[in-house]
Amino acid sequence: MADNDAPNTTPAKPAAEAAEKSVAEKANGGPASSESPAQPVPAASRPAGGARPQRGPRRERPDHRPRRRGPGGGATEPNPARPGARSTPRVTEWFQDLRQERLRFELEEIWDEGKLAYRWTGAITPPPPLVEPRGLSREQCIEIFRWMLLNRALEQQLENLYKQSRVVGGVYFGLGQEGCSVASAYALGPNDWMAPMIRNQGSLLVRGFPARDIMMQYMARADSPTGGKDGTSHFGDLESRHVVAPISMLGDLIPVMAGVCLGERLQGREIAAMTWIGDGGQSTGVFHEGLNLAAVQNLGLVLIVENNLWAYSTPLQKQTRIRDLAIRARAYGIPAMIVDGTDPFQVYQAAHQAIERAHAGGGPTLIEAKLMRMKGHAIHDPAAYVPAAMLEFWRLRDPIARLEIWLKRKSWLDEAAIEEMRRAVESEILAERDAAEASPMPPPERAFEGVYCDGCHDPRPRFLGRGRRRP
Amino acid sequence: MQLTYVEAIRLALEEEMRRDPAVFLLGEDIGVYGGAFKATAGLIDEFGPVRVMDTPLAESALVGAAIGAAYTGMRPVAEFQFMDFIACAYNQIVNFAAKSHYRWQAPVPIVLRGPAGGGVHGGPFHSQNPEMHFVHTPGLKVVEPATAVDAKGLLKSAIRDNNPVIFLEHKFLYRRVKEEVPEGEHLAPLGKARVARPGRDLSVITYGAMVPLALEVADRLAGEGLELEVLDLRTLLPLDVEGMLASARRTSKVLILHEDTRTGGLAGEITALLQEHAYEDLDGPILRLTAADTPVPFSPPLEEAFLPSAARLAEMVKQLARY
Ligand SMILES: Cc1ncc(C[n+]2csc(CCOP(=O)(O)OP(=O)(O)O)c2C)c(N)n1
Ligand SMILES: [Mg+2]
Repeated sequence: MADNDAPNTTPAKPAAEAAEKSVAEKANGGPASSESPAQPVPAASRPAGGARPQRGPRRERPDHRPRRRGPGGGATEPNPARPGARSTPRVTEWFQDLRQERLRFELEEIWDEGKLAYRWTGAITPPPPLVEPRGLSREQCIEIFRWMLLNRALEQQLENLYKQSRVVGGVYFGLGQEGCSVASAYALGPNDWMAPMIRNQGSLLVRGFPARDIMMQYMARADSPTGGKDGTSHFGDLESRHVVAPISMLGDLIPVMAGVCLGERLQGREIAAMTWIGDGGQSTGVFHEGLNLAAVQNLGLVLIVENNLWAYSTPLQKQTRIRDLAIRARAYGIPAMIVDGTDPFQVYQAAHQAIERAHAGGGPTLIEAKLMRMKGHAIHDPAAYVPAAMLEFWRLRDPIARLEIWLKRKSWLDEAAIEEMRRAVESEILAERDAAEASPMPPPERAFEGVYCDGCHDPRPRFLGRGRRRP
Repeated sequence: MQLTYVEAIRLALEEEMRRDPAVFLLGEDIGVYGGAFKATAGLIDEFGPVRVMDTPLAESALVGAAIGAAYTGMRPVAEFQFMDFIACAYNQIVNFAAKSHYRWQAPVPIVLRGPAGGGVHGGPFHSQNPEMHFVHTPGLKVVEPATAVDAKGLLKSAIRDNNPVIFLEHKFLYRRVKEEVPEGEHLAPLGKARVARPGRDLSVITYGAMVPLALEVADRLAGEGLELEVLDLRTLLPLDVEGMLASARRTSKVLILHEDTRTGGLAGEITALLQEHAYEDLDGPILRLTAADTPVPFSPPLEEAFLPSAARLAEMVKQLARY
C-alpha cells in the first residue's frame, strides 16, 4: 500500500527519498508509487490573476480572514453585533504535505497455518532527519523534548501501577505518538481550547495538568479531577485550561469542539479548538457531521487525525478505501495537511498554521498525522495481529529517539544533559506517583452527588459585553 | 395577551433572547423560514443569523455544537424539526450532555426543544413521544407543557436551568390551545406538577395533550356526579413525587394516562412510586390508560385506535370509581 490519494505538492523530492523509493520498488516487486501524476508548478510561474493551473500546488493565502458582508451585502469591516453575518471564505489553498518521506508498504491478509494473519511488506529504511523547526526557539525545542520524555515516563509508570494492581481497569498508551500529542498541544495559545483522546495524555501534561491527575484518574482516587467518577484521560477544566473532557464514543468531540468555537464567536472571539481522532474514529457519522458544521460555519476547529494504521485490531484498509485521510478535507471545502506524526516539528508547524488560521477567522483545518500505535489497543492487548516487520519499521521512527538525535546533532543537548533531563523527569514522575497514591479512594456517598447542577455552578459567558478580544 | 401554545413558545424565546445575550438558537430551517411550525418566526430579523442559526441537516452536530457552546457559558436552545429526529442525536444527549456535570462538574445549560406527539396523522416518524428514552437518563430534565401559559413559563425556566432540558412541545396543542398568556417575567417551575382541575373522587395523573382530554372527560363526568382531579405533571424528570402523593391521598384512587406507549412508559414508574409511598392511602388498584405498544400508525382510523380516547378514559374512570 502506498499512500497516494493526496495531490503531489512536494516541490522537489529529496535525493534520499528517491533512493528510498527504488528500495521500496524492489521490495514491492514493481513501481511503488502510484501518486498523482500532477507535476508541481512553482507558484511564481502561475499566470497572475488568470486561470489557475488545473492541478498545481496551491499557495497559502496570507490572510485567511473571511470577507464579511454587511447589511448592504458588500464586504465590510466585522460587525461585532452580528459577527456571523459573513460570507464563507474562499479557501484558495487546501492541501500541504510536510513530510520528508512517503510510506510505502503492503498489508495483506494471508493464511498462516490455518489462521488468518496480516503480512507487511516494505523496506525497513531509516527515517530522514527531522525538518527544521519553524517558529520554535532552541528552548522551546528542548521543552517539547522534555514533555515527550514526561509523557513516556508517565505511561511507563502507569504500566508499573497496573502491574502492581493499583490501576482500576485498563491502561491506554500513546507509545510512538508522544511527539504528535505534545507538539500539537504545544502550539495552542492560552485562550484556545482542546479536547484530548485517550492516547493524548501528553497533551494534558502540556496543557498544565500534573501527571498525578492522570495517575489518580487511572487509580480511581478521591482527588482525581473527576473525583473517582470517571477514569483515564476523561477529564477537563472549563475555567482555566479550557480542556473539554472526552467521552468514550469516538467522534463525538468533533461537533462539541465546533460548538466551543461557536460559543466563543458569539462572544466576539475567534479561537482555535483542537481535538484528535483516530483512523477508526474517522469512520463515524459524527466525524462527518461535526467537521461539516465547522466548515459551513467557518469555525476554528483544528482536527488532528492520528492515522496510526490500526483501530484496535482493524487495519486502515478495513476502515476506508482511501489511504490519505487528509483528502477528506477537500469534500468539506477546508484546508488539509499531512505530516509525519513522528516528527514533532512537522506536527507543530501544521498545528501552528491551523491555529493561526483559526484565530484569523479562517475556519477549520484537518491535519493527518501518519504514525503507528506501538503497543496494543490497551494493556490487555498484546497486538499479536500486528506484523513484526511493521513494528520494526516504525521503531526506527520513534519520535523521542528522532528528536534526541536531532538535538544532539544540533549540539543543543549533549548526552550528559539528556541523561540529566531523563533523571529529572523520572524523579518528577515518582514524586507525582507518591502524591497520587496518597489520595484515598472516594467516599461511597459521592456516587449520589452531582448528577445535576443545582446552583453549584454559575455558567455564564465570560466575554459578552466586554468588547472584542483576540486570543 | 391571547396566544396559541406555539406563539407562547415563540414569545418565551424572544423574551429570553432579549433578556440574556447568552441565549441563542440553532436548528434546521429556523432562520428565514422561522421553523417548520413557525416557533422562531421573525426572530432572525431581530437577532441576526448568528443568534438564530440555521444548521446543516445533522442532529448529532446540532446537539454537539450546543454542548460546546454551553461550555463557553452560552445558553443554546436547539430546535428539532420533529422530536422523532432526536433519536439521531441520542448519543450526544445521553453520553455527552447528561453525564457531563456528574463526570467532571461541567454544566451543560442547553434546551433541546421541538414538536412531539400524535393525533395529527403524522405517521410513525412524525408523531412519537420520545420522553422515556430520556426520563431513563440521569442528568437530564424532561419537560412537556400542556397549556400556552406553561409553554411560556416552563420554556423560560428551562432556558435558565443549568442542566440539559429536553423540552417536548405537543404539536397537537400548537394551534388548538389559545389562552391569555402573561407578558414578561412569568416563570413556571421545573419539577412541579400542577392541579389542572381539583376534584375529590379520583386522580387522573397525566401530561401533554392528554391533559385537555382528561379535562374534557372530567367535565362530562361532573355532570354524572363524579369529581375528577386532573394532575398535569409538566415535568417528567425529575417527577414531582410530593405533588402526586398529595393528589393520591386526597382522592385515594389513581388512574395514570399518557399518550406514550405502554410498556416502559411513565405510568409504570408512577405506579411503583405510589405503591411505595401511598399504599395505605389507596382504595383501589392503580390503573393506566396509554397508547398501544405499536409504532404510531398513519391512517386516521388506525391512529385513533392506537391513541387513548375520551370514551375509554370515561369507562375506566367509572370502573375505578366503583371501588
Ligand atoms: C463510537 C465508538 N465505537 C466503538 C468504540 C470502541 N473502541 C474504542 S477505541 C477503538 C479503536 C479506535 O481506533 P482509532 O480511532 O484508530 O484510535 P486509536 O486507538 O488507534 O488511537 C474502538 C473500536 C468506541 N470507543 N467508540
Ligand atoms: Mg488508530
